[in-house]
Amino acid sequence: MRGLFRWSGKWWPGVIPLVVLWGFAAWTSTVPLENDLAGRSSAALKGSVLDKTSITVDGRDVALRANAFSEAGRRDAVAAVDAVPGVRLVNDETRLVPEAKPFVWSVERDVVRVTLGGNAPLPALKGKLVEATRSALQGGEVADQMSLARGAPPHFEDAALLLIGQIGRLKDGKFTISDGEVSLTGMARELGGREAIAAALAKLPDGFKVASNEVKAPPYIFQAYKDPVAVTVTLSGNVPDENIHAVVVGSSSRKFFSEKVVDNLKNSVGAPANFVNAVVPALGALSRLSTGTLVVSDRDIKISGDALYDAAAGQIRTGLAKDVPQGWQVKADITVKPAAAPVDPTVCQQLFADLLGKARIRFETGRSDLDRDSTGLLDRLVEIAMRCPAANVEIAGHTDAEGDAAANQALSEKRAQAVVDYLVKAGLPAERFTAVGYGSAQPVASNDTGDGRAQNRRIEFLVR
Amino acid sequence: MAYLVAFHWGWLAGAFAIGLAMGWVAVVHRAPGVSRPVMLLLSALAAILVGAAVACLIPGRAGYWLELLLLLFVPYLVGCAIGTWLRALVVVRSMRTKSAA
Repeated sequence: MRGLFRWSGKWWPGVIPLVVLWGFAAWTSTVPLENDLAGRSSAALKGSVLDKTSITVDGRDVALRANAFSEAGRRDAVAAVDAVPGVRLVNDETRLVPEAKPFVWSVERDVVRVTLGGNAPLPALKGKLVEATRSALQGGEVADQMSLARGAPPHFEDAALLLIGQIGRLKDGKFTISDGEVSLTGMARELGGREAIAAALAKLPDGFKVASNEVKAPPYIFQAYKDPVAVTVTLSGNVPDENIHAVVVGSSSRKFFSEKVVDNLKNSVGAPANFVNAVVPALGALSRLSTGTLVVSDRDIKISGDALYDAAAGQIRTGLAKDVPQGWQVKADITVKPAAAPVDPTVCQQLFADLLGKARIRFETGRSDLDRDSTGLLDRLVEIAMRCPAANVEIAGHTDAEGDAAANQALSEKRAQAVVDYLVKAGLPAERFTAVGYGSAQPVASNDTGDGRAQNRRIEFLVR
Repeated sequence: MAYLVAFHWGWLAGAFAIGLAMGWVAVVHRAPGVSRPVMLLLSALAAILVGAAVACLIPGRAGYWLELLLLLFVPYLVGCAIGTWLRALVVVRSMRTKSAA
């Protein structure tokens, strides 16, 4: 042992190659060692929930920079790296993710894409929200502009997912959560979308309330087009429900007695109030035009086309505005069809007979007030009467045999007079027309059947 | 430590080999030995370096290189001791053989 100690004094020359060896070892092993430690440290952080993690290894010292979502998570991450074999020191540069006050999150839809903005509480939830948006859109572009922050209200995830589920109903707009308050703006994609979104909001989790809902519905459109060439009236757009649908189509069939009614309407919620009370008079105005278009957009009624004569154009312009319910706007762009060439009185008689063969002038039951559904027919009769200015015309009123004969006689006279009044109001000279009532004295069909009685209740135009 | 040994076993084996060779040569080497004060001085230096390494006083790569140096010294010294011991055995045996002859 003493010899070993004595000889150890001569070991020093070996230090020279040892130092050389050390130099080589340091030269070649430093970078691989650092890479190895960086890899192991990253692997150790796999299970930790961190944001913006960066690991820098200098020798055996690891600098850990990361944003953690809780104090415990932050400590655990540092401990996990510290426990990696080979790591000498951990320079803890971690910090907590900033807390957002108020915690704001938004989902915004425009023409091209859906943008998720504001804050998300955790990276996993951020990914989940993006994924949910993608599946809600089915193929649309999703832009993720969310940053991470602490301070989300409880049940934030449920609320955000609920709003994402509704984003498909928007054409454009934005849903925002600010702490527990939800605000909505924008335009619904379809009629009823606004109502559906409002209904879905009822399922918002506890602690959330709707601060403002300014989602607008797209305009509620109803259109009718009278085509004199195809002899059709095409109804398109929306009606509120099946009952009103039937009312509109039924009313159109009566008003447009010689045209085929093409029904392209569909039932949609979201109609403005008094829809039917506005649309039926507007259809009445359209029925008085030779060709025309009616567009009802929300509470705006736009009617354009050619009236059959001057007075009709004036009546439509002023009359429709009075007929529609309060709050509805009417814009009538009515021109007058050029007058047709005059014809011989016999031709006039033929035209009257043809027209009255297609439809009858209707009155209110038991009274002499003209039914509004007959205005279109009356205008056509006026137009014919204007073509033979020299002809005098007897307007003959007839009733069925139901009820008292004297009353029927009086009713037939009054009804004939009502028609004459209409013609005079249209600008025709009163002296050309004679109102005559025949009561039930000249039936054209049996008074025993309902159908027969209906045929007997009639007005005839007889050129004298 | 186990990690460092596992990572650098090749270099450590090299240091051991150098030590073994140095120990083998040291027995018959005629170079002057290190004097006692110098030996004390070197021991103190070694103690300071070990202390610095254990206390992690030197940061980053320099700290790692110091550790590597100290780590290489361990097998070197062990190699020296074994080399010297083996050579001493051989020398003693040959001297006995000579004196017997």
